Amino acid sequence: MAKILIIDDDPDLIDTYSIILTNNGYEVLSALNGEEGLVKIKNDKPDLIVLDVMMNTDYEGFEVARKIREDMKLLRLPIIMLSGIHEVKKVRYRFAPDETYLPVDIWLDKPVEPDVFLEIIRTALSDMPQQTG
Amino acid sequence: MATEKSDVVVLGGSAAGLTAAITAHRQYPEKSVVIIRKEAKVLIPCGIPYIFGTVGTPEKNLVPDAVLDKNKIKLIVGEAEKIDTENKTVKLAGGDEVVYEKLIVATGSLPAMPPIPGFDKENVWAIHKDVELLRGIQGKLKDVKDLVIVGGGFIGIEFADECKKAGVENVSIVELLPHCLMLAFDEEFAVEAEKVLIERGIKLVTGVKVLEFAGGKKVESVKLGNGEELKADAVIMGIGAVANVKMAKKSGLKLGPTGAIEVNRYLAASDPDVFACGDCAEKVSFFGGRSSPLKLASIAASEARIAGANLFGLRRENIGTIGVWGTAIGDFALSCAGLTESMAKEAGYDFVIGEAEGPNRHPGTMPGAENVKVKLTFERRTGVLLGAQMMGGSVVGELINVMSACIQKKMTIDDIAVFQIGTHPALTASPIAYQVVNAAEMAFMKTKK
Repeated sequence: MAKILIIDDDPDLIDTYSIILTNNGYEVLSALNGEEGLVKIKNDKPDLIVLDVMMNTDYEGFEVARKIREDMKLLRLPIIMLSGIHEVKKVRYRFAPDETYLPVDIWLDKPVEPDVFLEIIRTALSDMPQQTG
Repeated sequence: MATEKSDVVVLGGSAAGLTAAITAHRQYPEKSVVIIRKEAKVLIPCGIPYIFGTVGTPEKNLVPDAVLDKNKIKLIVGEAEKIDTENKTVKLAGGDEVVYEKLIVATGSLPAMPPIPGFDKENVWAIHKDVELLRGIQGKLKDVKDLVIVGGGFIGIEFADECKKAGVENVSIVELLPHCLMLAFDEEFAVEAEKVLIERGIKLVTGVKVLEFAGGKKVESVKLGNGEELKADAVIMGIGAVANVKMAKKSGLKLGPTGAIEVNRYLAASDPDVFACGDCAEKVSFFGGRSSPLKLASIAASEARIAGANLFGLRRENIGTIGVWGTAIGDFALSCAGLTESMAKEAGYDFVIGEAEGPNRHPGTMPGAENVKVKLTFERRTGVLLGAQMMGGSVVGELINVMSACIQKKMTIDDIAVFQIGTHPALTASPIAYQVVNAAEMAFMKTKK
């Protein structure tokens, strides 16, 4: 059973996605901020991260992604960034996965339909067979 | 709330949208065609860097709307908020609706912003295809003494050269790869381009990562991974673009692996009456069929001619993205099509290279003579052309299009070596030393080794 860690400051979102994921056979862990998330990555060794951007600070998720890749050297741990920042900040540019500057595998704008979310999780995990539990 | 009906509705009015609408009219003259676009005025996308120097103002870089009347295309300036695929209706901001029989989504792309710490400071600019915004940047540029451009691809080097031309004193390009233009050219071509940039007064910092945009509310410097700190009154981001699919996603159209709208070889999207083309649509490479991240106006226009033709019957098929590029730094031009030597190596091809160089007039003392270097990459076993790179005089901008046709038609070393060329002393290289033909001959010799 693959273990998924959701890092998001919105407990309702965590609840919703936890139900969807557990109903589909995944084990779900959660953290309400980056610091807590990084501890759980170290201790619980999840197979995939779902990471928000705007938490304690506006760009906390960006820093967390960089820490996972650069400081923790977890280069092959799949990260799905799930954020509403484009809508909230009304920016006219777009953030997108970038090996150097935004080291995540997939960017998703909130909200995401459950079936789309599940398909993306499945694909991300199947691309990383050595990571699945 | 007004409701309109049109046989064909195109969302977007730039390279893909306009070309798709024109194609729809040409292929199906009995059908009515409407373009819905957000912008009152549409910028020529590839001309944007030249607004800042050569062309002078955004208004001198616009797609003329006269072409719409000529092709009986109706224009609605408005923002499409949602596609109701069930009722085949586009809902516009403000409540109006347009009912379609077939729809083409050509909503383009938005600039990518890498979230480097400090990216939200004032004077860190992402370049949008928006007249007002560009006019604003152009106004602010007058007070800029130190400009840093992040990204040494085509956009980055063109902006650097044009901003220098506009009078910015210190222009630097920061590139992560060892050389500028390395995503499109082999090293020896990239190095020549860099020499010209340096001669024109542009500072190049390559092989280096940007760590931070520092300063107060406004950017003051750019901190780099090599410990250097570049003074900066302004920063232009030239990192790339992301498909503009917010509305398509909201409307339930399926997205593909790069986050663009999923399409098949006929450019049909996941709904049977919806097509997509240009920067907002997924692409696959001509070479091997893997997902391709390339976004170019020329690709968009080609796809638009496929999507527009297929609306009421599948007539044209997308063969995949070859990737044909060109740029000029002053009088020095570079162009490429298909795979470079390093790309062919990375893709696992067994290949041979052929190179030839010489003047593009004969004799070389004729007026207008410029040196042209050609490098061709062929698959060794079949001799099929995989790619071409050129540099030198401006002729390489058009000559590369000939090479793209050769790639598209899978022409071989022998096909190109016996090319029936037309030559003239005042117009071309000599028939004996025609660079493309000679490069094929050089490649042939290597197949014998």
